[in-house]
Amino acid sequence: MERVNTSLRTKLAVTAGRLAAATSRTLGRGEGMVVGGKVTLGLSPHALADLAGGRVAALVSATNGKTSTTRLLATAASQAGPVATQSTGANMTEGVLWALANGPADAPAILEVDEAYLPRVLAATRPKVVLLANLSRDQLDRMSEVAMLARKWRRMLAENPDVVVVANADDPIVAFAAEKAQQIIWVAAGQEWTADSSVCPECGTLLSRDGTDWSCSGCGRARPKTSWQFEWEKTGTAVGPDGQRYDLASLQLPGRFNASNATMALAVCAELGLDLAKAVTLMSTVTSVSGRFATVVAGSLRIRLLLAKNPAGWSELLDIMPPAPTPVIIIINSNDADGRDPSWLWDVPFERLKGRTVIASGNRRRDLAVRLLHAGVDAVVIEDPFAADAVLPAGTRELAVIDCAATYTAFQKLRDPSNEELAL
Amino acid sequence: MKERPIRIVSIYPTLLGTYGDGGNVAALSHIASLHGLAADILTISPGMVIPDDADIYVMGGGEDTAQVAAANALRASGALTRAVDKGASVLAICAGYQLLGHEFPDADGNAAPGLGLLDVFTDRLPKRAVGELAAEPIRAGLTSVTQMLTGYENHGGATHLGAGVTPLALVTSGVGNGDGTEGAITGRVIGTYLHGPCLVRNPLLAETLLGWAIGQHLDPIVEDAVEELRRERLGSATMSK
Repeated sequence: MERVNTSLRTKLAVTAGRLAAATSRTLGRGEGMVVGGKVTLGLSPHALADLAGGRVAALVSATNGKTSTTRLLATAASQAGPVATQSTGANMTEGVLWALANGPADAPAILEVDEAYLPRVLAATRPKVVLLANLSRDQLDRMSEVAMLARKWRRMLAENPDVVVVANADDPIVAFAAEKAQQIIWVAAGQEWTADSSVCPECGTLLSRDGTDWSCSGCGRARPKTSWQFEWEKTGTAVGPDGQRYDLASLQLPGRFNASNATMALAVCAELGLDLAKAVTLMSTVTSVSGRFATVVAGSLRIRLLLAKNPAGWSELLDIMPPAPTPVIIIINSNDADGRDPSWLWDVPFERLKGRTVIASGNRRRDLAVRLLHAGVDAVVIEDPFAADAVLPAGTRELAVIDCAATYTAFQKLRDPSNEELAL
Repeated sequence: MKERPIRIVSIYPTLLGTYGDGGNVAALSHIASLHGLAADILTISPGMVIPDDADIYVMGGGEDTAQVAAANALRASGALTRAVDKGASVLAICAGYQLLGHEFPDADGNAAPGLGLLDVFTDRLPKRAVGELAAEPIRAGLTSVTQMLTGYENHGGATHLGAGVTPLALVTSGVGNGDGTEGAITGRVIGTYLHGPCLVRNPLLAETLLGWAIGQHLDPIVEDAVEELRRERLGSATMSK
């Protein structure tokens, strides 16, 4: 009886949430998802658990790549029918709730979750599988430091022993977070950025590294044996536990990191009993993810949009930018959703952009300009590079498409100029 | 002027470099070259021997576990203390600053032993200090810094100064040590909560360190891009006050 009441209450709360969201949209305040989610949760505190109702197939969390990985996985899983998933990168409690409330009813759900919100979302939604890909420094003014976050994940898995964990064994922090789970599928997914996992998160001893292998001489912890492998040589290959190889060359999302994301998604597909060859074919139809890697028109320029919000993400993106002397646009903001402190710019190897002119913009363009000055990279500081009368470096306007790497709020603004809440 | 390059040692950036503090070493190198000075950067990873005959030692901020590991390794080495005795300078930020004191809190809140190079000890602030930090340098001739200091702080430590140190500055916006003062200095050993990175936003402090290394005062060289950044940040710190 209690359960029926709770469920009815949630239904009414969802209706109220939709109404609030529609009002917010009418007033031109964005997609209304956060407002709608807040209203629903206010009226029915257990709405998330009610809406999940045992149908959550997988949650995906990581510092980097969770939106892309979720899209790849949800697309692969659509082989078995409709899937409830986020259409945008909204990944805190409200965004997860909204995807469940407004996606196809009763369909299996594949959801991305902000790394700090994962423990409470996992406890409420009780997924079959959770994918844990990487942890590194990001928005340190909001998030816990990396090791602290890993301890929270570890506690979460101890408290929820039924969930199957698919985890990246090459990230020692993720391995520490995952290792106590009862059922773990380890994937050798690679780790480009090692600066946040130099010491053992358990005992503080410096980790020994040999290629992707790592171990701790202090407490004996070592990289777990993996059942899935990821190989990269210009294009990616995923190798399953039985030695079966899956060629990822047909992926349209660029870069090594997306092929690695696809490998982890494939390991989840295997746990969900999906056809893996079909999964690869479907993942190859994904061309851009919530604006990431999409070509859009911004004022007088056509740009390829890249989301670049922390050092680990940047070190991957620098590889896919066209070579010098092609100019690129970089927009650095420090609004709440970007992280208030952009001193992480000093952890990014911007020296690799030498030989070209960078167009520096965003509300922290002066921090970027000084960083580029020290890196020996030419820069022009322009408040609005998309204005018709902006003075851009020679050759910029002749480019068919120019790469534009932006932090979160600048990225969202370029994707959807009507989104006034997120000022450039 | 010295013939040999200025020797700058970056101590354990893998442990103490969470908040972009690697920029301090980049700034020293950049500003040295503006002054026509050669600088050698030596980056020390845990396990490597720390030389005790360099000119400038730089440490950044880091997470709790890494901070304890760094403090233990530095105490075991003893090199930093010997270098300071020989006249070297030290710039330590945040977790690095705390571990130069007598004690600081570990991940569980227990007191962990520091190096005792600064007469300070650190316990916990009631609430983590996160935001722009601006402070007016104390004009006692300890450094050649006369302009406002600007940075970003992100720490949970309250640092208490003993009689053996002087505050580096007085806070005008932000938290700093927690009692209205910011940082600490004795001789050529400087601790501060200023990230940003510190020397990028405060080139006069870099020029102080470089001047000590060559034994002569450096006239400041002003770069427009840096000045614009300083003006913007100091303005925003005043606004958020």
